[in-house]
Amino acid sequence: MIKAENVRKVFGTTTVLESVDLAINPGEVVSILGASGSGKSTLIRCINGLEKLDGGRITVDDFDVSKPKELAEARKRSGTVFQLFNLYPHMTAVGNVALAPVEVLKRPRAEAEREARELLASVGLTDRADAYPTQLSGGQRQRVGICRALAMHPRYLLLDEVTSALDPEMTAEILNILARLAEGGTTMLFVTHEIEFARQISDRIVFLDKGRLVVDLPTAEFFAPSGGLASPRVVQFLSKMRKE
Amino acid sequence: MRYTSFTPFDLVLLAQGFGVTVALFVVTTLIGLLVGAALAVVRYYRVPVATQAILFLTELLKNSPVLVQLFLVFFGLPAFFHINVTPVVAATITLSANTAAFIYVIAVAGIESIDRDQVEAARVFGLTRRQVLRRVIAPQALAFAIGPLTALLVNQLQVTSLISVIGVVDLTKIGNILNLRTLQPFIVWTVIGLVYYVAAKLVAWLGSRLETRLRAYSAWKGL
Repeated sequence: MIKAENVRKVFGTTTVLESVDLAINPGEVVSILGASGSGKSTLIRCINGLEKLDGGRITVDDFDVSKPKELAEARKRSGTVFQLFNLYPHMTAVGNVALAPVEVLKRPRAEAEREARELLASVGLTDRADAYPTQLSGGQRQRVGICRALAMHPRYLLLDEVTSALDPEMTAEILNILARLAEGGTTMLFVTHEIEFARQISDRIVFLDKGRLVVDLPTAEFFAPSGGLASPRVVQFLSKMRKE
Repeated sequence: MRYTSFTPFDLVLLAQGFGVTVALFVVTTLIGLLVGAALAVVRYYRVPVATQAILFLTELLKNSPVLVQLFLVFFGLPAFFHINVTPVVAATITLSANTAAFIYVIAVAGIESIDRDQVEAARVFGLTRRQVLRRVIAPQALAFAIGPLTALLVNQLQVTSLISVIGVVDLTKIGNILNLRTLQPFIVWTVIGLVYYVAAKLVAWLGSRLETRLRAYSAWKGL
């Protein structure tokens, strides 16, 4: 499981995360909601070790991400999908997906590429497998991004606003894939602005406000008047998002 | 036939001089590439002290005339360290060091041109700094650097002519010899200039071919 205890993160004079506690159990789908700047993405970046903590502790299956040796092990267990795809532009779709399995897991290239093609086929990219990222649409790029994370067979999938850069049609295309993964039992930590979708697929919803984790409830309770909706910040956020 | 007239043997002389120029150019370019790239890698790993030392040295090399550097090596080293340097050795040292300094700058720019985002992605998937350098940064940095690199090498080819001053019998030195003998400067220097021109064009052509290949992944074909 992924466990964050009393996490604190500061950028200069701004406190981005403050006493955040969160636990994600295997098989769970947890969505993180919150306004822009509330620290959602930073929390993901702390979990995958891209940001150093200024306090507290994060462990992935008991591997402490603040210790370089354990971080490597923690990173093998979690895969990240990025908002802006962050693909390697000089590699084809297959190359992007197969890179980490070959370099990190030391899999034979032919085998890794065969599996990459299978993964790409499973998201409908059979005939785009040899295209470079610049030759793909945004939705296609993000599908490659998802395959790249899945190729490492992660126990946990960290999704950082993966549809924010996409139009509604492409968003639907990505959300379908994620819904399928969620049904298949993949553990996911899902930072998003897609509230309706979060409601459909999440077991639990977490709400961040100005770096503090103010609500952490099972999905049904989060949307119940006595649960998450009892918090004025959540009500304010939800009504604002629905207007858009 | 008067001794001032051109002879077929002059073509052999010309070819010899050209051979010396090309040999020195190729050797110093290879050394320069190797050293310059190695220095950029040292910087990539943020080796303390070494990075500052490299910056200091490359700045010296970039901001002083090559001819002065050449004199310093050729006359300075023997006088100060009592080491004998032949003209060819002095030329090799100076041109290699000078090329390395500029290649270092180009290599650093190439490395820094890579989006931080992709590097982060590679790190998150568990690639080490070294693997990121080899698989993600280097191929793209090379594609980025090949243009400036070609421009630099075209220039460095011309710069090799300076070594004739300390007595290396390169193409320019041959020009000097032919000029003094025939007293036909217009013809001699036109021919010498043309040979440099053709060689430089060849370097530029090879560079642009390589650039097309290395940038095949990018849909961007330039303006």
